[in-house]
Amino acid sequence: MKNRYWFKLVMLLILSIIVLIGCSDAASEGEGSNTDAEDAEAQETAVKEGKDLTIAVAANFISLDPHDTNDTLSYSAEKTMLEGLVGFDKDMNVVPVLAKDYSVNDDATEFTFELEEGVTFHDGAPFNAEAVKVNLDRLTAPDSTLIRSSLFELIEETEVVDEFTVKVKLSEPFGAMINTFAHPAGMLISPQALEEYGDDVSQNPVGTGPYVFEEWQPGDHLTVTKNEDYWNATGNEVDSITFVPTPENGTRVAMLQTGEADFIYPVPTEQAESINGTEGIIVENAQSIVVYYLAMNNLKEPFNDVRVRQAINYAINKEAFIEVVNNGFASPLDSIIAPDTQFYSGQSPYEYDVEKAKELLVEAGYEDGFNTTVWGANSSTAMNAMEFIQQQLAQINIELEVVPMESGTLSDSIWSVENPEDAEMEMYYGGWSPSTGDADWGIRPLVGGEDAYPPNSYNTAYYNNDEVNSLIADGLATGDPSEREQAYADVQEVIWEEAPWAFLTVDDTIFGKKNYLEGIYLLPDGSLSVENLEIVQ
Amino acid sequence: MLKYIIKRLIGVIPILFLVSIFIFLFVHLIPGDPARLVAGQDATIQDVENVRKELGLDQPIHIQYFSFISGIFQGDLGISLKTSRPVFDEIAIRFMPTFWLTFWSMVWAVIVGLLIGVISSTKRNKWQDYLGMFGAVSGISIPSFWMGLLLIQLFAVQLGWLPTGGLDSWKSYILPSITLGSGVAAVIARFSRSSMMDILKDDYIRTGRAKGLKENKVVWGHGLKNAMIPVVTMTGLQFGFLLGGSVVIETVFNWPGLGRLLIDSVAFRDYPVIQAEMLLFALQFILINLIVDLIYGFLNPQIRYD
Amino acid sequence: MANPETSGLATEMALDQNVEKSSPVKDFWRKFKKQRLALVAGVFILILVIIAIIGPVITPYSSDEPDYANVLQGPSLEHLAGTDNYGRDIFSRILEGTRISLSVGTISVLLGALIGTILGLISAFYGKWVDSIIMRICDVLFAFPGILLAIGIIAILGPSLVNVVIAISIFSIPNFARIVRSSALSIKSTVYVEATKSIGAKNRRIIWKHIFPGTISSIIVNFTMRIGTAILTAASLSFLGLGAQPPTPEWGAMLSGGRDYLSTAPHLTFYPGLAIFLTVLAFNLFGDGLRDTLDPKIKD
Repeated sequence: MKNRYWFKLVMLLILSIIVLIGCSDAASEGEGSNTDAEDAEAQETAVKEGKDLTIAVAANFISLDPHDTNDTLSYSAEKTMLEGLVGFDKDMNVVPVLAKDYSVNDDATEFTFELEEGVTFHDGAPFNAEAVKVNLDRLTAPDSTLIRSSLFELIEETEVVDEFTVKVKLSEPFGAMINTFAHPAGMLISPQALEEYGDDVSQNPVGTGPYVFEEWQPGDHLTVTKNEDYWNATGNEVDSITFVPTPENGTRVAMLQTGEADFIYPVPTEQAESINGTEGIIVENAQSIVVYYLAMNNLKEPFNDVRVRQAINYAINKEAFIEVVNNGFASPLDSIIAPDTQFYSGQSPYEYDVEKAKELLVEAGYEDGFNTTVWGANSSTAMNAMEFIQQQLAQINIELEVVPMESGTLSDSIWSVENPEDAEMEMYYGGWSPSTGDADWGIRPLVGGEDAYPPNSYNTAYYNNDEVNSLIADGLATGDPSEREQAYADVQEVIWEEAPWAFLTVDDTIFGKKNYLEGIYLLPDGSLSVENLEIVQ
Repeated sequence: MLKYIIKRLIGVIPILFLVSIFIFLFVHLIPGDPARLVAGQDATIQDVENVRKELGLDQPIHIQYFSFISGIFQGDLGISLKTSRPVFDEIAIRFMPTFWLTFWSMVWAVIVGLLIGVISSTKRNKWQDYLGMFGAVSGISIPSFWMGLLLIQLFAVQLGWLPTGGLDSWKSYILPSITLGSGVAAVIARFSRSSMMDILKDDYIRTGRAKGLKENKVVWGHGLKNAMIPVVTMTGLQFGFLLGGSVVIETVFNWPGLGRLLIDSVAFRDYPVIQAEMLLFALQFILINLIVDLIYGFLNPQIRYD
Repeated sequence: MANPETSGLATEMALDQNVEKSSPVKDFWRKFKKQRLALVAGVFILILVIIAIIGPVITPYSSDEPDYANVLQGPSLEHLAGTDNYGRDIFSRILEGTRISLSVGTISVLLGALIGTILGLISAFYGKWVDSIIMRICDVLFAFPGILLAIGIIAILGPSLVNVVIAISIFSIPNFARIVRSSALSIKSTVYVEATKSIGAKNRRIIWKHIFPGTISSIIVNFTMRIGTAILTAASLSFLGLGAQPPTPEWGAMLSGGRDYLSTAPHLTFYPGLAIFLTVLAFNLFGDGLRDTLDPKIKD
C-alpha cells in the first residue's frame, strides 16, 4: 500500500514539472506581449560592464576579403575593419568615405576621386592613390577568379593622377558605377597585406576602418578590437566587438535576453513584440531593399497568359500575408524594386479582390482553376509564405503543391537548366537584394530578357519583353540622373502591368539591442553599420 | 594481443578505402552545384564559372577523386570550398568542442544510467523500478531540439542560472550535455537493468546471498562487475555515435562542433570538408569498436584474440 | 541525429529456443500483465491506433482550413489546444497527425526490419565472406551520419513524406541486421539445426523453417522500440527543414514549425511535443515490457 502511495506522489511530481515548464513560458507571454515602442523607451537602461560587445548573427562568416565575398553577413564584419572610397548611408544614398569628393563625366565613362589625406592602414601602409589602384587592379586583373570581379569588369584603366587623386576609366558608359564603388565589394585592403598574404588575405583583413582584426574561429566567433589610430574617430568606439554565429532563432533571442549578447540580428518576427521593452531590450525595424516575390514561368501554360498572372496578383491578400508570414514586419511591394532602391517609382497596387481574380481566370479560360507547384527554400519563413500562398490560391481553385527544398537542391533545380523551354520550374518563391542599391541591379538580373535566363542570371520568371529590354539598356547608357530616372520609371510601369511575378513584400530589417547601445543599425541592404556606435549609460 | 591489434589496424585500411569511394560518390550524387553556392546570391554566370575553375570543379570526376585520395596519402585534406581554409584546420578547430561535450555527456549518462539500471533490477516491478525506467525512458522520448529549447527557456532566460550555450565556461556544458546525455542514460539504464537481472539469478549470486553477504555487496560488487560487459560495449558504441557531433543539439546550443560543421558543409556542398569529416567518423567508429573489443576481453578473460 | 537507440548490439536478447511450451500465448500474457507500465503503454498505443483510424471523423475542425480572424489563440473550450499561426485548430491537427506520425513510424521500421532481417539471416547462415561483406556494409552505414544520408536521399528523391520514410528505414536496416544475425547465430549452433543440415535439408528451408522463427521475438521487441526512434527522427528532419511538406499535420513538422513561438505562444509546440513525447514513451515502455516478457534469461 505504502509503495503505491509513493508511486502516485512521484508521478504527480513529474507531471507538475512538465506543466510548470509549459506555464513558465506562458507566464512570460503575459508580461511581454502588450508592450509597445513607448514601453521600450520608458524602461530603465540596462547596465553594461566593460566596453566589449557581443553581436549574435544568424549564420557563419564565409570570407573576410570583400573582393571575394558574396554574402551580406560577411560584409557586415568586413565593414568594421575596412572602408571604401564611397559608401551608403542609412537610406542607401551614396556618401563619401575615403574619397573626400568625386566627379563623373557626362557619358558616365570617367570617375575621378579626391582622397582623404593622412589615412593609414592598420599595418601602417599609407592610404593613397596608388593603394586604390592596387585594389582595383586586383579586381580587374584578366585572370582574376575573385567573386566580385564581375562588378568591376567595365573598368578599363585606373590612373594615378597625383598622390591623392585617382581616375577610373570605363570601357563603356555605365550610369550605375558610382553605386558599385559604394558597394562593400569596393572596400580597400592594404596593398602591403595583399602583397604579404595573397589570397589568404581573406583570413587576415587589413583596412583603414575603426576596428582591427583580432581573431576568427570559424563556426565559433570573430573578434575585432578598437583601432586606436582611426582617422575618423568619434571617440565612442568600444574596446572590442565579438560576432557569434547563432543559427537557431530561439537561442539567439535567449542570448539577448540573458545579456550574453548586446545586439542580435535578425530578430525572428514572431518574438519581436514580446521581447521589446523587457530586460532592457529594444527591437527596431526599418524597411529594407529586399523584395520577396512569386515568380511564374512565363514560358509555360497557364502563366504565359497575362490575365492568369494578374489574377494571381489579385488573389493574394498582401496585408494578411504580412500579418501571417512576417508578423507585420514588412510592407506590400508596389513595384519590382523597393522604395529605398535608386529610381524607384511606386505603382498602384493590385488590391486583394477574389472576384476579380476569378473573372480574369474565366476570361483566360481557366474557370475550373488548375494545379501547379511552387518551389522555395526550406526555412521556416519561406515555408510559411508558401503555405499561405497555397491557402490564398485555393480560393480561386488553383491547387498549389508546396515543394520546400534544401538550399543546394533548390539552386540546382533552378539553375541547372540547358534550354529555357525545358525548365521544370512553374512557380518560385524567393527574395532579391539589389546590393548596389541601384535600380539596374534590381531589375536587369530578374526580368532582363533572354540574357538573364537561368543559368546566366536570375530571370526565374523567364520573362522576355522587348520594350523592357530596351528601356533597361537606356537606363545604363547615360550618367545623367534625370534620363536614367525616366527610363526606370517607364520600365517599372510596364513590368507592373505585365506582372511576371506575384509582387509580395518588402521585408523589414529587424534587430534587437540592449538600450545602452546607440548609433548601431542595419542598412536597407541588411548589412550592419557600427561607425557611430557608442555605449550610453 | 599486440599482433591482434596490429592485424585489426591493418584491416582498417581497406575499409577506409571503400568508405572513401562510397562517400565520394554519394556526396557527388547529391544534387547541388558548389560553385554556384559558393559564388552566392546575385552572382553572375561568370562569377560562378570563375569559382568553378578556382575550386578545380571543372575537372572530370575521377580526377577529382584521384586528387582527393592522393592528397590524403600526403596528409593533405585539401582546401574548404566555402572558406578557402585548409580542411584540416576547419575540422581540428571543431573536434575538441564536440569531444568534450560528448565526454561530459557520457560521464553523467553512464553514472545515472547505471544507478537507475541497478536499482531498477533489484526492485523489479516495484515503484522504484517503474519510476526509474519511466524517468530513463522519458529522456529518450523527447525530441531533442524541443528539450534543448525548453531548457534554455527555463534555466537561461527565466532563472538566469546558466548560459544558453557557446563555449565560454564549464557552465556552458551543462545544458547541452543534459540534452545530449539523456538518451544515452536511458540506453545504459535499460541495458544495465536487464543485464543485472540476468546476473542476479545466477548461482554464485545466490551462493553469496546464502553465505550471508550483505545484499548491497552482492549487488554492487559481484553483480555489477559481471553485468558490466554489455554495458561497456554499449557505452563505447554510444561514444562513437556522439563523437560524430549532433547536428540538432549543436545547432540549438550554438556549439562550434563537428555536427554543425557537417550541416554547414552540406548546405554549401563543400565536398572536401564533407569527405574528410566522413572519413574521420568512419575512422573513429572503427577505432572505438576495436577499443571496446579489447576492454571486453579484459573484463571477460575467456575471450581469445585470434 | 545520433539516435542512441540505433545501437546495433542489443545482443542480450540472444534467445534460447526451448522456452516455448504448451501454450505460449497464455504464458506470455501471464508474464506480461505484471508489467504495469507496459500495460498502460499498450492501452495508450491502442487508443492511438483507434484515433489514427477514426481521426478524421472526430476532429472538431478541418485540419488545414485557415481562419485568419483567430490566429494564435490560446487553449479554450472552443479550441482545446488553441490555434496556430494560420488560425487552424491544433487539436484537430494533432488528431489528424496521429495517423501520419504512426504511419511514418510503423512503415519505415517495417521496411527497415524486412531488409535488415533478410540480411541478418543470410549473414548468420552463410557466414564466412558473405557475413563479412554484409557486416562491413552495416558498419559503414552505422558510421555514416544519419543526417547526411537523409539529406542525400531527400535531395536526390525530392522532399516528401514518402522519402522521409525511406530515409528513416535505411537507418534501421543495420540495426535489425545485427540483432537478427546474433540471435540467428545462437540458434544455428544448436544441435537441432546441425542435425537438420546433416540430413540434407535445403538452405532456404532451414533458414525459413528453423532459424527465422527463433528470431521473431527479438524482432518484435526491437520493432516496437524503433517506432519511437523513427517518430523522433522524423521530428529532427523537420527541424532541419527536410520533413513533411506543408500543410501536412505531421507532429514533428508542427513542433518544428511552432518553435519560433516557443516564448510567445507555447501551445503551438507544447501539444505536438507532448503528443510525440507520450507516443514515443509508450512505444518504448511497451517494448521494454515485451522484452522483459519474451527474454527467457530474465526470470521472475
